[in-house]
Amino acid sequence: MYVYRIMLFLVFGGYLLSPLLMSGWASPEIAWYRPFVVWGVLIALTLWLEQKRKLDER
Amino acid sequence: MNASLGAVLALGSGYLLLLFLCALAVERGWIPTRIARHPVVYTLALGTYASAWAIYGSLELASRAGYGYLAYYLGVAGAFLLAPVLLVPIQRMTRTYQLASLADLFAFRFRSRWVGTLITLVSLLAVLPLLALQVQTLGDTIHLLTGSASPALLALAFCALIALFAILFGARHTRLHARHDTLLAAIALESLVKLVAMLALGGFALFVVFNGPGDLQAWLDGPGRLAQAHVNHLDPAQWRTLLLLFFAAAFLMPHMFHITFAETLSRRTLLQAAWALPLFLLLMALPVPLILWAAQRLGVDAAGLGSAYLAYGLSESLWLQGVVFIAGLAATSGTMIIISLALSGMILNHLVLVAHPPVDQPDLYHWLRWLRRALIGAVIFAGWLFYRLVGVNHDLTTLGLAAFIGMAQCLPGMLALLYWPGANRKGMVSGLTAGVLVWLAGSWVPLLTDFPAQVLLPPGLEALAGQPDWYVVTIVSLAANILTFILVSLLTPTSDGERAAAEACSVDAVIRPKRLPLVAGNGEEFKYHLARALGEEVAGREVDRALTDLGLSPLDGRPYALRRLRDRIQANLSGLMGPSVAQDIVDRHLPYRRGGLEPTDDIHFVESRLEAYRTRLTGLARELDGLRRYHRRILTRLPVGLCAFGVDDELLMWNDALAELTGIDGASVVGSRRDSLPPPWNDLLGRMFLEHHDHLYKQPVVLDGRPRYLSLHKAELTADEDIRGGTVVLVEDHSEMKWLEDELVHAARLASIGQLAAGVAHEIGNPVTGISSLAQNLRYDTDDPEVLETATQIQQLTDRISRIVESLVGFAHGGRHVAGQAFASVSLAEVTDEALHLIHLARSGEDIHYRNRCPEGLEIEGDAQRLLQVMVNLLGNARDASVPGGEVVVDAGRQGAWLHVTVTDQGHGIAEHVRDHLFEPFTTTKPPGEGTGLGLPLVYSIIAEHGGQIDIDSPPPGQAQGTRINLWLPLNTEHGDPTDEPDPDR
Repeated sequence: MYVYRIMLFLVFGGYLLSPLLMSGWASPEIAWYRPFVVWGVLIALTLWLEQKRKLDER
Repeated sequence: MNASLGAVLALGSGYLLLLFLCALAVERGWIPTRIARHPVVYTLALGTYASAWAIYGSLELASRAGYGYLAYYLGVAGAFLLAPVLLVPIQRMTRTYQLASLADLFAFRFRSRWVGTLITLVSLLAVLPLLALQVQTLGDTIHLLTGSASPALLALAFCALIALFAILFGARHTRLHARHDTLLAAIALESLVKLVAMLALGGFALFVVFNGPGDLQAWLDGPGRLAQAHVNHLDPAQWRTLLLLFFAAAFLMPHMFHITFAETLSRRTLLQAAWALPLFLLLMALPVPLILWAAQRLGVDAAGLGSAYLAYGLSESLWLQGVVFIAGLAATSGTMIIISLALSGMILNHLVLVAHPPVDQPDLYHWLRWLRRALIGAVIFAGWLFYRLVGVNHDLTTLGLAAFIGMAQCLPGMLALLYWPGANRKGMVSGLTAGVLVWLAGSWVPLLTDFPAQVLLPPGLEALAGQPDWYVVTIVSLAANILTFILVSLLTPTSDGERAAAEACSVDAVIRPKRLPLVAGNGEEFKYHLARALGEEVAGREVDRALTDLGLSPLDGRPYALRRLRDRIQANLSGLMGPSVAQDIVDRHLPYRRGGLEPTDDIHFVESRLEAYRTRLTGLARELDGLRRYHRRILTRLPVGLCAFGVDDELLMWNDALAELTGIDGASVVGSRRDSLPPPWNDLLGRMFLEHHDHLYKQPVVLDGRPRYLSLHKAELTADEDIRGGTVVLVEDHSEMKWLEDELVHAARLASIGQLAAGVAHEIGNPVTGISSLAQNLRYDTDDPEVLETATQIQQLTDRISRIVESLVGFAHGGRHVAGQAFASVSLAEVTDEALHLIHLARSGEDIHYRNRCPEGLEIEGDAQRLLQVMVNLLGNARDASVPGGEVVVDAGRQGAWLHVTVTDQGHGIAEHVRDHLFEPFTTTKPPGEGTGLGLPLVYSIIAEHGGQIDIDSPPPGQAQGTRINLWLPLNTEHGDPTDEPDPDR
């Protein structure tokens, strides 16, 4: 259950900070695939939290 | 474009045929179930979210707003990342109460069929532009590829095929909540097709149009920079608003709600989708900018093609254009199928059935099925009509955003449903109406007419002037919605029904249903009552289904079981015809009995729910739950029987020790009324409740055919405001203690007999000694042989009286041989003769034939007098058991180190249940007054003194009736220590 709070924190934090990321991505100096790498890291993090949740609830 | 109309039609029809074949393969079992039900299939089916917007709309948005197009993917990814706190609670509710749509859920929570109707109307209005968007992409692409003058009619043909598929594979079951493996598999295939197509297009753009990632980056840093300069990047507020819209769409859009909750495999699968769906969307989103940049590099005419269809300009190759067309068709058809299924269910339950309740329908299931099929066709046709009349005048982004803003009006209600039990129906309806009115004026009406968006900016939001219409409409409508919702909810009262439903829906609530008795007394009566609404056949089938789901018997009359049965029937009917109609039918035909005691909480149900939701508890709640489980375990494992009753005499607890004692499993009786418990418990516990005392000691009951003695103790639990009342009863098995007490009583009787015998011996001893002396004198006074013989016999008999009295005293003092008396050689034949002689003195049994077959010279070491007592007792018993003319035989022979003596009669034998107790004192089969029950115990005691053994055959082997007493006496002089055990079989 504590894992859920991390997810909540992650999603709402991401929601509030996402405009900063957006302005960064629009910059020509940033590699075009950068947003997708950030997204991929977020998915990996979720997968890891999901594994932790399974252990937490066992 | 130069594709022929026939080729495009063949391609499209071929693809849809492939879809039919896939569904057929799953249905016929050609594809194994483990594959059809694999979590990956479910995740891919969730990819239905990626509609034609993902293929074409995203390109359009990316060309206008750059990375702003990602909001479509990231919004829904965010919702799924929050699956454990957002989607899983909704899934729990929809599964528990069989709620198949958003309208069902709202109608259930806010306890009003009109709320369901309102949500259905809002969904219908909101989804029409989205459906039109799908059809429009079909028409546009057909026109682009073939140049056909009537793409709308061709799009209608495709719509008809899609509707046919939805009817064939989605509306086979009457229940909306039924799982459709075939449908899921087909939708998953569609997602796979569009994913592969998009990746192929992205790969083509990256490696064919560009020379790999390096070349692309170089182009972006160089010539591409100019093309990107035209992009209007979204400001932070607009970006966040877009994210919010797509976040809400993840669980509010009818097709997403349907796949996520109505078709869900399990909670585990949903949690797995929390990362798997974002991964799918990442792969879908990745090719979008690649295609856009490739088209810009190639100088594709965006104005001619339309920025949404730039992918068609990447190459003149029909193959590549075919891939784009199939990707679009896959996205379109998947979305349309699921939307039509979801929306048809909502319209059926919340518009049609509300206006025309299905009472007295002769074939309810058939009627519902065909109605649903007609509605599926109608929804898809409405989508086409909206496209034809309205959609053609607008771009994809405008249509899509109008739909997403409309559905987002349900977001405040949904969040309140989960997290605000104080929200009420009036607040929700007011807020929703306010938001929807703003949305209609700002987005919907401008779609239909040429009027510009009509949104009045309230004070404080003047800064929105000049911002894009969609943004202004979203902010103002949601602000109006939320503020009205909160204010009205706070200012108006909430009904009891709403409060109960709010607790059932709220994430942190512990549901505390009340224990109310039902009018119907068992499953059969349920059928009778429901038949008035549903007809006999449907009522019977629904009740049987609910009984099977719960594993209950139709005759189970436990109030607890009946309440669960009622809930299950309501949930099942809700899946069939929506929660409003289901609740109406159940309330009317399966009512609770009013009056009597104040209803109390259903503790057993609350506990079972707590067990199920244990993993969701945190902090103090988890600690308290741990403590509750510990205390419950103490009571359950208590080594004394314990049961607890509520104030209405309903059984709440039946612990393990009581289950073992009674042989009744707790699960089968918890929830019963006290008087409906199986006998003897209903009487026994009833007596306990009627008694003014708190204890009942050693109550005789018969369990498993054996007498048992139970002690009961009760304690009243007085109810007050926070604590539930009731009675707790402890049941102790005191049978062994009772038996021990009985033995003590026997021992006391024996002791008193011993004292009596000592007195008798003293009192009888003197006269007997006198008689013996007189007989001696008689011998001296006469020479008459007859008189001498008589005197001798008198002396022998007086000696015997003395020894019997001594033996009786000896038995009473423990049945032991008189200490110090030595054993001597005893001839068994002589002892038997003497015993027979004494037996003949008695007047009874004169017509019994006695046979002494003991061989002469067979001697053992022993006390002749006591052995004589054995033989007299055994022969006396044999005589008493024999019928006139019967024969009693005494036989003896050596068996190894043992002398085996048998006394056999042909009498009535000994009953089995008496045989085991024959050697216990006071056990007799003789009529009262004829037997003391001391004879055989004495025999047993004497034989044991001689180191022998005794047993009984009744009837003896080879005889139809009668009894044989077997004595084994050791032959050697060291009696009591034979070298081997006697063998009774020899």
